[in-house]
Amino acid sequence: MLRHYPGMTTNMSNVPTLLDRYRLMVTMRAFEEACAQGIPTGELRGELHLADGQEAVAAGMAGALRSDDWMVSTHRGHQHAIAKGVPLEEMMAEIYERVTGLSRGKGGHVHLFDMERRFSVTGIVGSSLPVALGHAYACRLGNSDSIAIGITGDGGTNTGQFHETMNMAAIWRLPLVILVENNHYAISVPAEEVIAGRGIAERAEAYGAWGRRVDGTDVEEVAVAFAEAVGHARGGNGPALLEAVCFRFRGHYEGDIDHYRKTVVKRRMREEGDPLTIIRRRLLERGEVDETEIAKVEGEVRDRIRDILQKVRETPGPDAVEAFRDVFAAVPA
Amino acid sequence: MSENGKQVPDGRQLNISQLIAETIGMEMERDPGIVFLGEDIGYSGGTFGASRDLFRRFGEWRVRDTPISEMGFAGMAVGLAMSGWRPLVEIMFVDFIGVCLEPVYNAIAKNRYMSGGRVAMPVTIRAAGGCIGVAAQHSQTLWGMLAHLPGLKVVAPSNPHDYRGLLAASIESEDPVIVIEHKDAYLRKTTEFPLGTEIPHGRYTVPLGKANVVRRGGDLTLATLSTMVEKSLAAAEVLQTEGIGVEIIDLRSVVPLDDATVTDSVARTGRLLVVDEDYLSFGLSGELVARVVENLGPNAVKGVSRVANPDLPIPAALSLEHEVIPNEDRILSAARAIVGSG
Repeated sequence: MLRHYPGMTTNMSNVPTLLDRYRLMVTMRAFEEACAQGIPTGELRGELHLADGQEAVAAGMAGALRSDDWMVSTHRGHQHAIAKGVPLEEMMAEIYERVTGLSRGKGGHVHLFDMERRFSVTGIVGSSLPVALGHAYACRLGNSDSIAIGITGDGGTNTGQFHETMNMAAIWRLPLVILVENNHYAISVPAEEVIAGRGIAERAEAYGAWGRRVDGTDVEEVAVAFAEAVGHARGGNGPALLEAVCFRFRGHYEGDIDHYRKTVVKRRMREEGDPLTIIRRRLLERGEVDETEIAKVEGEVRDRIRDILQKVRETPGPDAVEAFRDVFAAVPA
Repeated sequence: MSENGKQVPDGRQLNISQLIAETIGMEMERDPGIVFLGEDIGYSGGTFGASRDLFRRFGEWRVRDTPISEMGFAGMAVGLAMSGWRPLVEIMFVDFIGVCLEPVYNAIAKNRYMSGGRVAMPVTIRAAGGCIGVAAQHSQTLWGMLAHLPGLKVVAPSNPHDYRGLLAASIESEDPVIVIEHKDAYLRKTTEFPLGTEIPHGRYTVPLGKANVVRRGGDLTLATLSTMVEKSLAAAEVLQTEGIGVEIIDLRSVVPLDDATVTDSVARTGRLLVVDEDYLSFGLSGELVARVVENLGPNAVKGVSRVANPDLPIPAALSLEHEVIPNEDRILSAARAIVGSG
């Protein structure tokens, strides 16, 4: 029979306020900055992909997501995990390859698995989407109203998996949302040079699917569009493709010299397209909160992440015996 | 159960493809979590007939005719397994697994490990392999390549009893298993096989990783699997008339590889011949020889030899195919040489 993991409960999340989303984005950025601290110390190698600048896309998902929805993310997946409620300390411990990590240090940062939160990552571009398709098929098989969210980048929409997934999700009308983070670069290659047709969102038309492009630097716009995509998929109307246009402030991975983008362009990204700055300003303009309250939120998050990093650093790595476990299921004695 | 406890179900003349379809049906009835995906498994009942009737019995959601999208539906199996289902995937020809090797070796094979044991991947992949005169892109066995990848179990049955029992064990397994069925077997009646023709009533499994000694002999150990078991049995009859006693071991699976059973046999015979329908180099034959020599020490082994495809693509002309894959003449020559050398 079906095996159920603990914690698979159906809860409607409360719709977050703008301050809630700001707190979430500040958490995402602080979390990734804490990850980056492991690079110069040699604790982590360069194979670390950070999503600095893309916070509005992940934080825009909160609220529409349910704990019984499935999410399959990418090599740049920490922020999505945070949006899905993956515990920060276990995730940070896995990224730092500690025994207390989600996978006891055997997955590392591009192979995060948290079945209780129905979240996983694959490190191969495009491969997240067929896995999400499988979850969506399972939702349908089990007659549940859960949905699956498969995330990829602009580069991932050129893979066969993207098109195979769109096709199958459409012919079987599966409850799947494909969220594309278009950060303009497939590693070093400008997206517009390698994507044929009018754009990514327009690719939905070929499959008779719902498709929309949204400003991925504005968390409120993402939230509205994502909620609509989720409503479409959950309503039994088949797949939805949401393209969120955003910026990746850092290189493709830590250590990428990022010489394919001009310094002036990178500076403008941060000045004009930082989702945290945009929302901070908006919060103050609306007068819902003042500078002191915002600073309080920022301070709380900073302290929390600092404590988590410190605790993770004090945790040992896995024992040598761990390398030899878990290739196959343990044989019952 | 019949008087002797064993007989062909209902006394019918089944062929192997019918036996496989029946086995899948039995498993799907037993476990409502099994979902079957693949090309042409529904309306047509399978390219080789190995899923006949299942679409009608279980419906389109559990027996799913997929588009020709191996990468997509192999990846789907990963999500289904993580969602708590038990996917059975048919890759029509094992040669096509190259199209979807990424989800197979990066996710299906590794997710348990990469998750520290928190994610199970009870995925079974069935695929047709082996030579029946259909040339280079539809004739490979590839079990050596698949066995090379950590996290996959690789099974290749040789006889009717094992086609049912190993498939049931694979589907029931908590680990990913690739079952390579031989195309030459599908349309043969179960009663035509030299062994394993007695099929118990009711469900049974054959444990994965237990080799089967199918013939006793004292001069030479011959380890093989799949249809080469039958060719080896025929060669052994000839060799018997020449005074050479051949012990034949049907390995049944490449992973787990039951080198212990082979080692025990070679400890008595002193000689090992591996007959393998896969490519010669970097595969099953070399691995098995190495393990047996490691287990016994070089002084305990008087001779080793291998008969396999000599690292060539499989040619279209049947006469050439016959030259490339192990045939009875090559098995006989290798056996005589190894026994004659000391």
